[in-house]
Amino acid sequence: MAGMKDTALTLVILIALVVALVVGAEIAEIRLFGRIATNLCISLVLVLGLQVFMGNSGILSFAHIGFMGVGAYTSAVLTIPAQMKGMALPDLYPVLAAIQLSPYIAILIGGLTAAVVAALVSYPLMRLSDAAAVITSFALLVVLHTVMLHWSEITNGPRTLFGIPKATDLYLAAGIAILAIIGAMLFRESRTGLLLRATRDDETAAGAIGADVSRLRWKAFIISALFAGIGGALWGHFITSFSPKAFYLKETFVILGMLVIGGAPTVSGAVIGVFLVTFSFEVLRAFEASLNAAKIFTGQVVGVTEIVLALAMIAILILRPGGLFATMEIGVLFGRRRQKASEGEKQ
Amino acid sequence: MLDVAALELRYGAIRAVRDVSLTVGEGELVALLGANGAGKSSTLRAIAGAHKPASGTIRLNGENVTNQSPERMVRNGVAMVPETRDVFPDLTVAENLRLGAFTRRSDEAGVDEDTQRMFRLFPILSERAEQAGGTLSGGEQQMLVIARALMSRPRLLLLDEPSLGLAPTIVGRIFDMIAELKSGGLTMLLVEQNAAKALAVADRAYVMRSGEIAAEGTAADIAAASDLKALYLGG
Amino acid sequence: MTAYIQFLIDVLSLGGAYALMALGLVIVYGILRLVNFAYGELIMVTGYTMFLLGGSALPWIVMAAIGVLMAILAGIATDYVAFRPVRAKSVTAVLITSFAFSTLLQNAALLFISPRPRNVPLPDIFSETVHFAGIVTPARNLITIATAVILLAVFAWVMKRTVLGIAMRAAATHFTMARMLGVPANLIISTAFAISGFLAGIVSLFWIGRIGSVVPGIGLEPLLVAFIATVIGGMRSLQGAVLGGFLLAFIDTGLNYSLPQELLKFRDAFTFSLVILILLWRPAGLMKGPASGQRT
Ligand SMILES: Nc1ncnc2c1ncn2[C@@H]1O[C@H](COP(=O)(O)OP(=O)(O)O)[C@@H](O)[C@H]1O
Ligand SMILES: [Mg+2]
Repeated sequence: MAGMKDTALTLVILIALVVALVVGAEIAEIRLFGRIATNLCISLVLVLGLQVFMGNSGILSFAHIGFMGVGAYTSAVLTIPAQMKGMALPDLYPVLAAIQLSPYIAILIGGLTAAVVAALVSYPLMRLSDAAAVITSFALLVVLHTVMLHWSEITNGPRTLFGIPKATDLYLAAGIAILAIIGAMLFRESRTGLLLRATRDDETAAGAIGADVSRLRWKAFIISALFAGIGGALWGHFITSFSPKAFYLKETFVILGMLVIGGAPTVSGAVIGVFLVTFSFEVLRAFEASLNAAKIFTGQVVGVTEIVLALAMIAILILRPGGLFATMEIGVLFGRRRQKASEGEKQ
Repeated sequence: MLDVAALELRYGAIRAVRDVSLTVGEGELVALLGANGAGKSSTLRAIAGAHKPASGTIRLNGENVTNQSPERMVRNGVAMVPETRDVFPDLTVAENLRLGAFTRRSDEAGVDEDTQRMFRLFPILSERAEQAGGTLSGGEQQMLVIARALMSRPRLLLLDEPSLGLAPTIVGRIFDMIAELKSGGLTMLLVEQNAAKALAVADRAYVMRSGEIAAEGTAADIAAASDLKALYLGG
Repeated sequence: MTAYIQFLIDVLSLGGAYALMALGLVIVYGILRLVNFAYGELIMVTGYTMFLLGGSALPWIVMAAIGVLMAILAGIATDYVAFRPVRAKSVTAVLITSFAFSTLLQNAALLFISPRPRNVPLPDIFSETVHFAGIVTPARNLITIATAVILLAVFAWVMKRTVLGIAMRAAATHFTMARMLGVPANLIISTAFAISGFLAGIVSLFWIGRIGSVVPGIGLEPLLVAFIATVIGGMRSLQGAVLGGFLLAFIDTGLNYSLPQELLKFRDAFTFSLVILILLWRPAGLMKGPASGQRT
């Protein structure tokens, strides 16, 4: 049984991973490592958000990255210094032009805005399943993307939005990633999480014991959007300039790949997936860069990372459909091993 | 002809059928009886290749066909009339029949000839030939499904509750049909709730109870067994 | 009057292309319950094949035939890479593999060809215009209409009159029952993917013919179009897909003629909101498909 002890052990292991990452990046004292580690922590927030919904409900959502965009743009608009706004967002509504909040507050507001938008639009969608659920979430992504692309007053349209104050460093990102791990784990073990997982495994049976499937999914979807919004805002204050392209299919694919490879049903899967994919991506990028430097190909070498990720996803889904951590959290695995070892000693 | 040994079927963790063994000889009509949920349909589906057995073997004329696909079983000469009937509702009666002859599709003359034979056997189908299958009455659908199964020229016909939910006069006609097919030499395995009617046409019978064979014997013996009800209900 | 005819030609030529796109998506979804995210890449494959053949001395029609053939092969490859190995597993797994396969093909084009647009050979007739009854229209539009009409007729004939067509329709309602009549599952699946590739390939010739070039992301818009059209038409109905295609073309063209530029850029947001509303109202799409269905 996955009891309190296993949950605690899982949390300790996963948080230790993040701490080790921070310490490692600090010791290495290479700026590139710091960047990679920060990006990894932001990905953790995003992927854990997707895990909250997809892992517990079993339903694929394409809209997640759209909510990341909502958070990023909200926080950006609220923090770009007043004197820069004239240039960065020439058509901004005068009410907003005067506002300039601290990025830390704005990041939170970004998350909340994403959650509110999700709450408003998603409730009726939650009763759909299978193809209808997937196509509606895809349609929602397209709608969000179109709005970002053309609501020039707020987003500067398809052009790059710049002038966002830098506020995200490794410590902030790691701190929020740790909170996200705890949040996702608490949700998984909460009553809502348990019921939702029951609906994932058998919708009719869970309905029969009185679980309101739509409502359960809706709660998870809102929390998931909250994570996405915060993750997006964090990323915005790290990268300091972006355009709507950053919140579309390519990013959806990467986030989904991390979750699927690690294992959507578990929090451990989400975390391990982010670590694995991030590190392999860096290796592959270095490989791409060396190919480019060696000028073996006439043009720029691009796309290798995505190709490898796609192949890895397909391979995982064929060989281990639930991902690396398909059913058991990492703490349970360790707990078992320890138990076995101590039983061995007794004999 | 058919030889099932120690068959076990599962739905996830549920064992629906355990240790079922039965045989059907050439030209025989064997009835498989039992209460609702006894595992009759599952057994039939397994023989038709539509449900992979957890263990056990299925042999056809001595050849092991245990894990073969449904389409392969049709080519082996086994045709299935499922209890859910499964007329293709959007296909016309004629198209349903033509599909029944899928494995013989290159033999166009033969298929046409068989279609005419089915129309003579079931004149109502001939009247309805261009009508969508979904618009037929229950009895007509049952006839269509039997005719469709016969279009593959099977050597073994699996019939799952052909009388289910039909008016008594229609039930009588269906059983006349079955008797006629039997006298034509077709081998059949017939699942029925209507034990009296089934035993009247069958040579031998098996009674299933909660996933196992509870009794077997000649149709006359089983019919004469005073505890038929008890066998059914597990008393 | 001429304005109406002009409008009609625009709707029919766009609608013909949309209808074929939608049909290619629905043929796979209807039978296999697979929303094939790699569908747009089939269109891309034809485009790049044409680009690669562009330098050769082959007549255009031969290049086009090879282009369509490659789309068919890519369609069948989708089956083997993304569908068959996971088809017994969850619906979500199949969706993700098709999404991954789509990314794979796009990035292969990016890596091995170029991120930048590449020119595709076009037949001379595509750039000619036709004048009649006071109307000026690209010959390409009329060819699109004619091709769509012919293909839809042939398709309807195949589905209605051939045993394989009947088997495909049967498999869309009840896959296992069709198999219990001797219809081989693999034959049906491969045929569905091949038809899907064929339709995508044909559409590609006209779609790319409008732009004259191909980029790795070219498949996204057709995919979205096919989504909307199938949702409007009922996700499992072949006739519905065709109708949905023409209806969407009517809406699109109508909005283009009537909506101010300021709102036109939000058109996708409107149409996709409409898609969401339709699915909420009727999760299986506006038009009813064949009775029940399951994937085995
Ligand atoms: N698709 C299924 N999923 C789960 N359990 C099933 C399924 N089909 C049948 N069963 C179970 O298997 C047992 C045997 O069913 P069935 O073969 O239909 O019996 P019968 O035809 O004798 O009424 C029943 O307990 C039934 O609940
Ligand atoms: Mg039954």
